[in-house]
Amino acid sequence: MSEIQAVDANVVAPAADLAAPRKGVWQRFEPTILGFGSLVVLLLVWEFLPRLITMQEGTKLFFTVPSDIGGTLWQMFATGAIWEPLGVSASAFAIGLSIAIAVGLPVGVLLGRSAALNAMFDPFITAFNATPRLVFLPLFLLWFGLGMWSKVMIVFIGALFPILINTYEGVRNADRVLINVVRSFGATEWGIARLVVVPNALPYIVVGLRLAIGRAVLGVVVAEFFGSEAGLGVVMVRAASRFQVDVVFAGLIVFAVLSLLMTGLVKLLEDRLSRWRPQHINAI
Amino acid sequence: MDDAAPRASFPTRYRKALLGSLSVVLFFAAWQAMFLFVPFNPLFISKPSLIASGLVDLITSGDLFRDLAVSAVPFLYGFSAAVLIGVPLGIVMGWRVRVGYALDPLMTVFYASPLVALAPLVVIFFGVGVSGKTLIIFFLSVFPFIFNAYAGVRAVDPLLINVVRSLGGSEKDLYFKVIFPSILPYIVAGARIAIGRALIGVLVGEFFAASEGIGYAISRFGDLFALDRMFACIIVIMIIAVVLTEGIRWTERTAFPWRTEQ
Repeated sequence: MSEIQAVDANVVAPAADLAAPRKGVWQRFEPTILGFGSLVVLLLVWEFLPRLITMQEGTKLFFTVPSDIGGTLWQMFATGAIWEPLGVSASAFAIGLSIAIAVGLPVGVLLGRSAALNAMFDPFITAFNATPRLVFLPLFLLWFGLGMWSKVMIVFIGALFPILINTYEGVRNADRVLINVVRSFGATEWGIARLVVVPNALPYIVVGLRLAIGRAVLGVVVAEFFGSEAGLGVVMVRAASRFQVDVVFAGLIVFAVLSLLMTGLVKLLEDRLSRWRPQHINAI
Repeated sequence: MDDAAPRASFPTRYRKALLGSLSVVLFFAAWQAMFLFVPFNPLFISKPSLIASGLVDLITSGDLFRDLAVSAVPFLYGFSAAVLIGVPLGIVMGWRVRVGYALDPLMTVFYASPLVALAPLVVIFFGVGVSGKTLIIFFLSVFPFIFNAYAGVRAVDPLLINVVRSLGGSEKDLYFKVIFPSILPYIVAGARIAIGRALIGVLVGEFFAASEGIGYAISRFGDLFALDRMFACIIVIMIIAVVLTEGIRWTERTAFPWRTEQ
């Protein structure tokens, strides 16, 4: 958008340049400067405001500043205290997400290829996808007990639907002409899936994976808040009940960074996979 | 579309709906019939007949509506606050380019981080009453409104803006005749995402330490091993969630038909 406008300005008249005298470093980096500037300003205000105004003792108990959070974060990594709870959370995340992929992909392909199956499963998928999956946590706690498996199930059920629905969309949008060609040359249903359907669906699946990662991180956090005895979420709840606000924020930062890192990696994969594809792909 | 095709017979036209309802009926029938062959342990699982009678009990005793009413109050407060703050903020971010530059990274960081993780803090600061729940719901549901209003304003047709300006329209005309109508579909789409997140907020707030509300009812019935009532409450939440989301989808289709192929 901005590139097109810049080109137009040059084409129209030299006067356009006179109208925009401040063109250069500032203008090019304005979004970055303003964006990071506002982050820095917010952090500085948060850090120094409590030192300028005096707070009541009671309020101080609930308060923390960025330097304390950073110190706590550093401590957690330096003493290695973070690795054990993080490992517990990460394994619940990894197992749940793997099962979601293992179930969501084949079911998505199946529903995309069969109109009857799709019609039969549609009410269930709509209902489960609209409902916050957290509602099943008390049930999972009864079935699987406190601990790893109820967490895995929450992660699984949260991550399943983005993967399943995106796979389904990708499969359904496969080019009919290509399918007919491959079929005319004698391909079986398996061959059609391998040659046309899955390659076409791949970018959709990656979008689904990206959404699923976000849901899975959310699932781990929430499941650990209510029904677990180990994990980073448990560390955070315990810290909150002891008014160690800095630990809660440190945990939030760890979760946020991991979530951003993983979705960023998948986004790279997504860009790589959809580079040849001219049209925009809709995510659910 | 197949609209041009000759009118299909009833079973063909409603094939999808028929198959869908059939499979739902079959599912509950199979669930009920399963216990003819498998021993039934009421501490572990329930069956549709018991769930139905549990639901009737909850409705006739008025417990269900009391809990729903308790949960609805913070939901409405938090969701309305999210609309009232999120939409104007998103519009300003889209309309004032520098505000957009300044706030975009900040909001993205907030949106991407699992903000639910701050729920324990909110509960400790504000308690488990209406204010705590309202705040959790607000934080979870405000970002879809901000980002959708932001995206909507940036997608406004510049031609329309120029036309209104050329014909002597004021800033107010721009807002009410161009910007607001064109971002409306975006806001409704944002509301669809926000509703799901707001429901998560209700549950998180009430699982923590509430003493009433539908989320509290679910976890209490779980603690009491009253699985029939727990399933009844879960199904009620599922129905509410489906009605709300599909209602918004329906609004999107009927009010903004040009956006269905989005």
